[in-house]
Amino acid sequence: MGKEKILKDIQDIATDPFAYIKAKKVAGKKAIGSPLADVPAEMVHAAGFLPVTILGTNEPIVKAGAHLPDNACSLARSNLELVLNYRKDTFDGFVFPQVCDTTQHLSDIWRMTIPADFFASFLIPRQVDRKSAKTWFYRETLRLREQLSGFAGAPVTDAALRESFRFYNEVRALLRELYGHKRAFPGTISNREMFDLIRASLFMDPADLIPLLKAFKKEMTEEKEEKRLLPVVLSGIAVEPMQLLNILDDLGVNVVGDELIVGSRMIENDVSENGDPVEALTARHFAKSPYSPIRDRGTRLYDHLVTLVEQTRPAGVIYFHIKFCESQDYDLPDLKQVMREKEMPMIVLDTEYQSVTRAQTKTRLEAFVESLYGERENG
Amino acid sequence: MADVKPGMTAKDYSRQLTKAYYEGAKHARENGKFIAYTTAVSPAELFYAHDVIPIYPENHSVMMITHRMTAELSESIERKGYTSHLCAYARSDLGFRELHKSPIGGIPDPDFLLACNAQCFTLTKWFEVLARRYNVPLFVFDTPQFIRDKKAREEIITYVEEQIYEMIESLETLTGKKFDFDRLKEVLEYSRQASILYKTYLDMASYKPSPISIFDALINMAITVYLRGTPEAVQFYRLLVDEVMENKVKKGIGVIENEKYRLYWENLPIWFKFKDHFNFLASYGAVILSSLYVHAWSYDFDPSNPVRTLAENYASVFSNVEMEERAQMALDLFNRYSLNGNFMFLNRSCKAVSFAIHELRDIITEKTGIPALVFESDMGDPRFYSESQIRTRLEAYLETLDQLAFEKMRQF
Ligand code: SF4
Ligand code: SF4
Repeated sequence: MGKEKILKDIQDIATDPFAYIKAKKVAGKKAIGSPLADVPAEMVHAAGFLPVTILGTNEPIVKAGAHLPDNACSLARSNLELVLNYRKDTFDGFVFPQVCDTTQHLSDIWRMTIPADFFASFLIPRQVDRKSAKTWFYRETLRLREQLSGFAGAPVTDAALRESFRFYNEVRALLRELYGHKRAFPGTISNREMFDLIRASLFMDPADLIPLLKAFKKEMTEEKEEKRLLPVVLSGIAVEPMQLLNILDDLGVNVVGDELIVGSRMIENDVSENGDPVEALTARHFAKSPYSPIRDRGTRLYDHLVTLVEQTRPAGVIYFHIKFCESQDYDLPDLKQVMREKEMPMIVLDTEYQSVTRAQTKTRLEAFVESLYGERENG
Repeated sequence: MADVKPGMTAKDYSRQLTKAYYEGAKHARENGKFIAYTTAVSPAELFYAHDVIPIYPENHSVMMITHRMTAELSESIERKGYTSHLCAYARSDLGFRELHKSPIGGIPDPDFLLACNAQCFTLTKWFEVLARRYNVPLFVFDTPQFIRDKKAREEIITYVEEQIYEMIESLETLTGKKFDFDRLKEVLEYSRQASILYKTYLDMASYKPSPISIFDALINMAITVYLRGTPEAVQFYRLLVDEVMENKVKKGIGVIENEKYRLYWENLPIWFKFKDHFNFLASYGAVILSSLYVHAWSYDFDPSNPVRTLAENYASVFSNVEMEERAQMALDLFNRYSLNGNFMFLNRSCKAVSFAIHELRDIITEKTGIPALVFESDMGDPRFYSESQIRTRLEAYLETLDQLAFEKMRQF
């Protein structure tokens, strides 16, 4: 298989995972859906199900509006729309995390309006700066294990968990390697391609994905780029619509780092395959990068971006703000200030899942990238 | 603070307490005391027990809203990059910090911040902004949704209890003083008594005609919000209950004449309009009697088990339970107060209380058979309030109730 073919296979699933999920279901797998973020896929996988991260839809909002007002964030509305309207029969059950007011209520709406055989609230701690959060995450993960065992009709064993850890660790390691390659050899993997690969790992069974990623890795070359691409760092929760990444490719920039939730945060840490598996999942949770709605230690939310910028030395930062995400709204004015102090150019793009072609966003991106090119030439 | 002097009305006493409270806060530093900002729903008893002064920026924001300062304050922070769809309390507060405008001369800066997310998530982010601004510790008191699962509840309580101990440690670090659990029990005893009396007061809405409306409840809830845990709060509610009993209940005087419709109000009030709404509704023989919101401070403390009772009470507040349970809580008010109308306000400021309102309406309407009016506006920002639109909708709703009452009569 050539590079293009492998990529196409993965990208097809990343952009429309539902044919893949359906095929898995026909083959006897049950699909468990979870909105962002922090549901341990390994636990769902070890229980014998296909864990699927629900990443919203770019299709029009038709039904969700009757349940969530228009000042609910675009992610919540498009997630609800997806399961209420477009993909009614895909999921056998849900594990639903809560991180903010919107997700807490979305959880209620979801449970009350979408029929499913299984619904488990996964009440992750909304602070990670004290010891109690660790104990709580541990207990809550145990509770999830029990609930999934109940639905599966058999206990989730330690051995099954370790097996799942191995699978997911391998996926993460491969993705990290590819990301490293992209960083070292700009132009070998495009921005859209890289994030499609990460996205695929949020839907696909690792047993299917690993061989594809390995084959893809073999095709990697150490070519030098033809024209020097401009290094940038991405921040925010998710890049939506994904077409924005294509725009970045067209504009000649190379993403050298990111702190997106649908991005590096998904692949940055592994789960230890030794010791108490629930303890290991807990440790991974607390090693993760910060996440806007979760109260982190001190100013870690900002320090993280500062460090990332220092390590990867981008020409600029592109921040993706999900429309009506109030968590990001509260972060942004101070974050802009921090970047100004560091003399790091940053642009904030207000994004909405339903606006696939927004000329204004494109124009702003173009102007930003041009100004960065200008700075590079002058500096 | 101060005792009730003979001849003093509850209103006089409340004024005096409020004045003394803000004065105390203003001079806290001179008196060697620390100031903590906290959220209206939070284990504030810990502060009173440790001699730290709790201040409620939300309360201060209500004053700015009712003095119609929010639009100006909000614009000042919108220029700094905050958006106009954030909670109007947060916008008023952040704007106050920009413009230093306040109807009471402002509130002192904090030494410590406590945000309890049983009330909402917004507060944790708003306080995070303040934590950076003043470089002071922020303690997010995390109360996972109190789902209807026995085992989960037990575990949630344990998690919350652990955080109470962590909070106590933080207070000890702040002040350098050892925490006194006996004092906590004492404070909780005051909170317990004040809560019972406050609830007795709210429950006066069950009399026919009702001697109180929600607008009275909203005015009188302030004391339990910021002074529960003090003997003065107990005295105030005793005075208030006695007063309403003597002056209204015993004489059969209702809060409006010709009471026809006894209404439920979902959500917080539209603060800058509530007097107008009251008068307008009264002209139709309608009065709003209660809301889950005012009941958020009817706690049930057991001082003999202080840490557990704090955990149980604060984790289970109406804004932190599942919608089915919240509907039950509202239905309980419909039953106890014989309510026959339902205004459901979708408050743009407050996602925490507003989202899932349609699911809530469906349950309440199904169980009571009473139609509900769902309407959207903002509790604090006149820029998002359309007088004519809301009046028309309220009127149309009251006419529907008239129509239904008429049809019911005809059936007999
Ligand atoms: S954190 Fe923001 S994007 Fe995520 S669900 Fe909450 S409001 Fe929406
Ligand atoms: S009004 Fe709602 S969002 Fe605002 S502070 Fe109160 S509970 Fe939170």
